[in-house]
Formats: sequence, C-alpha cells, structure tokens
Amino acid sequence: MSAERLIDIFILMAKHESDDPLGSSLCSVAKDITELSGAAISVITKDGMREQLCASNNIAHRLMDLEITFKEGPGHDASQYGTANEVIELIANEGQRWSLYAPEAVELGARAVFGFPIRVGAVVFGALSLYRDSPGPLSEEQSSSAYLMASVIGRAVLVMQAGVPRGAIANELQGQSTFDFSVHQASGMLSVQAKLSMKDALIMLRSHAFAVDLSPSELARRIIDRSTRFDFQSGEWLQADSEDGKYGI
Amino acid sequence: MLRESLIVSTLVELADNLVDNFDIINILTILSGRCVEALEVDAAGVLLVSPGGELQFVASSSESMRVLELFQIQTNEGPCVDSYRSGLPVVNVALSEANGRWPLFAPRSIEHGFHSVHSLPLRLRGRTIGALNLFRTSQGAMGDDDIAAAQGFAHVATIAILQHRAIIDATTLNEQLNYALNSRIIIEQAKGIIAEATKCRMDQAFERLRAHSRNHNQGLTGVASAVVAGTLRANDLDIQK
Repeated sequence: MSAERLIDIFILMAKHESDDPLGSSLCSVAKDITELSGAAISVITKDGMREQLCASNNIAHRLMDLEITFKEGPGHDASQYGTANEVIELIANEGQRWSLYAPEAVELGARAVFGFPIRVGAVVFGALSLYRDSPGPLSEEQSSSAYLMASVIGRAVLVMQAGVPRGAIANELQGQSTFDFSVHQASGMLSVQAKLSMKDALIMLRSHAFAVDLSPSELARRIIDRSTRFDFQSGEWLQADSEDGKYGI
Repeated sequence: MLRESLIVSTLVELADNLVDNFDIINILTILSGRCVEALEVDAAGVLLVSPGGELQFVASSSESMRVLELFQIQTNEGPCVDSYRSGLPVVNVALSEANGRWPLFAPRSIEHGFHSVHSLPLRLRGRTIGALNLFRTSQGAMGDDDIAAAQGFAHVATIAILQHRAIIDATTLNEQLNYALNSRIIIEQAKGIIAEATKCRMDQAFERLRAHSRNHNQGLTGVASAVVAGTLRANDLDIQK
C-alpha cells in the first residue's frame, strides 16, 4: 500500500468525474481500482437504515436493493459490525449465510461478494459493496485497494457536502444516479393507504417490489403516479386502468 | 486475536492512516514527477494558497523549479501568480517575449534554462486554491492534447488537496450530512402522506408544507416530522400563505 496507489485512485476519480456527477462516479472508481465486476455504496441514516448512494452498474444496483430490502449482505454486515467481510463462493454458501440475499444474488449473476465499512474517524458512515461474477477470494492487492478506496469515499462524500447550507444535500449527491428519495415519498403515500407506520410502509413497499419483481424505485414511481395503490379494505394491490383510471387487481 | 482479523485490522489502519495523515507534499511531489513523465514538459510544480490568501510553495519535480516557484512568490509575478489571480490557464508563453509581462521572472527563468511556461489554476466550485506550473526547456507550443492532459493533472491535484483538507472537519461534516439526509427523508415521507391524504400532487403537497412552515414560523423539517409522527394531520395544514 503506497502513496502511488492513492494517486491512482485520485487519477481515476478525476477521469470518471468528467463523465458522471462525482457522487455516482465513486462507484465506477471503486470497481476499476479493485478490478471487480461492480460496486455500490450505501450510507447509514437514522436508526441504522441505509440509503444507496450509487452503483457502478445495474446488477450492483439490484444487489444493493436486495441488501437493503433483506437487511442482509456484505455491505449490510460491514456497516452493522464495522468489519470487512466476504463470501467467496455464493453458490456453495446458499442457505447458510444470508439465506434471503445469497440465492437472489446468485440469480442476478454474482458469485463472490465483498463488503468494506466506510469510516470517518470512529463513526461507520456506510459501506462499500463489491461483487464479482466468478467465485474466489480477493488478491492482497485488491483487498488493500478496497480498504483504501473505502477511506477515500468517506472523505470524498464529505468534501462534496462541505460548504452546503445546514439541512441541504450537496448537488453532486442528488439526482438520478445518486440518492433516490422517491421511495420515501411513495412510503408516505402507502402509509396512508395501508394505515401503517412509516417504517412498516417502507418495509411493505420493498417486500412487495421484490415479490412482483420490480425495483423499489420502479414500484415507488407507480405509486406516486397513482397507477398502483394498496386497498386497505380488500388487502390487495390494485392497478389503475390506463383508460378510465379505475383501480382493479 | 485470529491471525486473519489481525491482518484485516492492520489493513484498515494502514488505509485510514494513509488517507488521514497522508503527506500531501509527498503526494503532490510524486504527481509533479508524473506530469514530467506524461507530458512534454521538463519541470512541474504546485503552489497553494494559504488560508491567509497568500501563495505558498508546496511541491516540485526539481530544484530549479522550486527556486523559480519561490521567486514568483517573492516577486509576486509570473505565470502561476497570473493563473491564480485570474483563475484562467496561462499556456504557451515564450519567455523570450515575456520581458514586458514578467520583467523579473522571465530573465531569471531563462537563466535556469527554461524557455516556455504554462500554469493551470486548481479550481473548486468557482474558487481557485492554487496552481500547477509546467516549464519547458524548449521553445514552441504545447499541443492541445498535452494541455488537456495537464488540466487533468491539475484536477487530480485538486482532489488530493481536498481529500487532505476534508479530514480536518470530518466529524462535523458527517453530522451535517446525516442531519441533511434524515431531514430530506422526513420531508419526502410527509409529502407522500399529504399527497395521499388530501389527494393532491407531490408539488402541491410540498407547497402546503412550506406554507404551513412559513405561517407558523416553524422549520420545514419540524412540520414534516409532525406530519410523519401523526401529531399534525395533513388536512389541518395551511393551504396557502
């Protein structure tokens, strides 16, 4: 581990930043520097909940959705326990660790997954989740790159947030490819429809999205545009008819 | 402790140390060296502005570059001073023709064997925090590709400097980000509740939150929290100012 490696990370950051907003480019840098198949970053919010900051590709994004929905997976454990962890062969692992996450992750094409805590001082700030489409451990070099990258990510996010007025979130951290708040809007609506607490509404939204094979963001979009709603009387999810707008199953 | 977890904790410590206490001068010196390798230049160096607003020498690829950078600071003239002041790149200035522009700096640089100079500002959100200087011993212009690559190096230097500075108030910034994220989530949840309970659009829901917040002189997050907690009913929110 050396200053040279750190410079390589900075160079990748500069390179990716010209293509993407900085917030989302951090995941591409993490993927490149570790030479793995994909990377996603999550940040811990109130009550130990996690928000996805970015993902380097669609599979990484969906793996992170699984982690947040099931409260299982490498990034979940990394932010929960503050230690790095890995499953280097998800197929052999099936049913043992992460009984919900593991089989779904295999289904998406991941064979090995790795989680690294992102710390800022003594506080665990979030986690870096990495996957590879083939099994096997990280080389020593990959592992030290991942540790270094996790340290850099915490600082980079804070740099973006520096100088922003209290209560606001830096522009670089908002937008399509970064924090997605639509899930929370939709949870607010669902809490009224299903007469649930906000926390339960969010769990319900995520588990229903999983059950009907939609991403949480996509289901949120449908709830917000009122093409999908939950009917408390019947306990059913209803779809709006595209012609007359009336709801049916 | 298990051998493996010992290795892991050592790695974490090393990574954190490298980022926490990384020697910014060392990083920028290596970077200056990489500029010389990658670009058609013979010397490179970085100047940074101090909190007091004065330029300070930080790193260079060679001794003569260091001397000339210090000379620029002392005499308050030269490419670096210009690019720092204007926030714009100074490229392809032939020193033999620069006696009018830099009466002290131009002849001194030629004495050191340099004939053309470039300086790129290190910029962040409209603020200039320093400059990257590139000197050549030959005459003639630097190509567009090299200028673009040099701008890339200036950007890398900026990232390195920012990473270094972020450590100073990491804890405060972390708390701020957490507060901002939580309050944003609560506001979005409240918008959803209002939109559903009063059958309005999301932007109208936000307007009601804002109107109520203004009229009752309460913060937006406070009003949103009350809606989410159920202590303030969506229908009881003010409709407009």
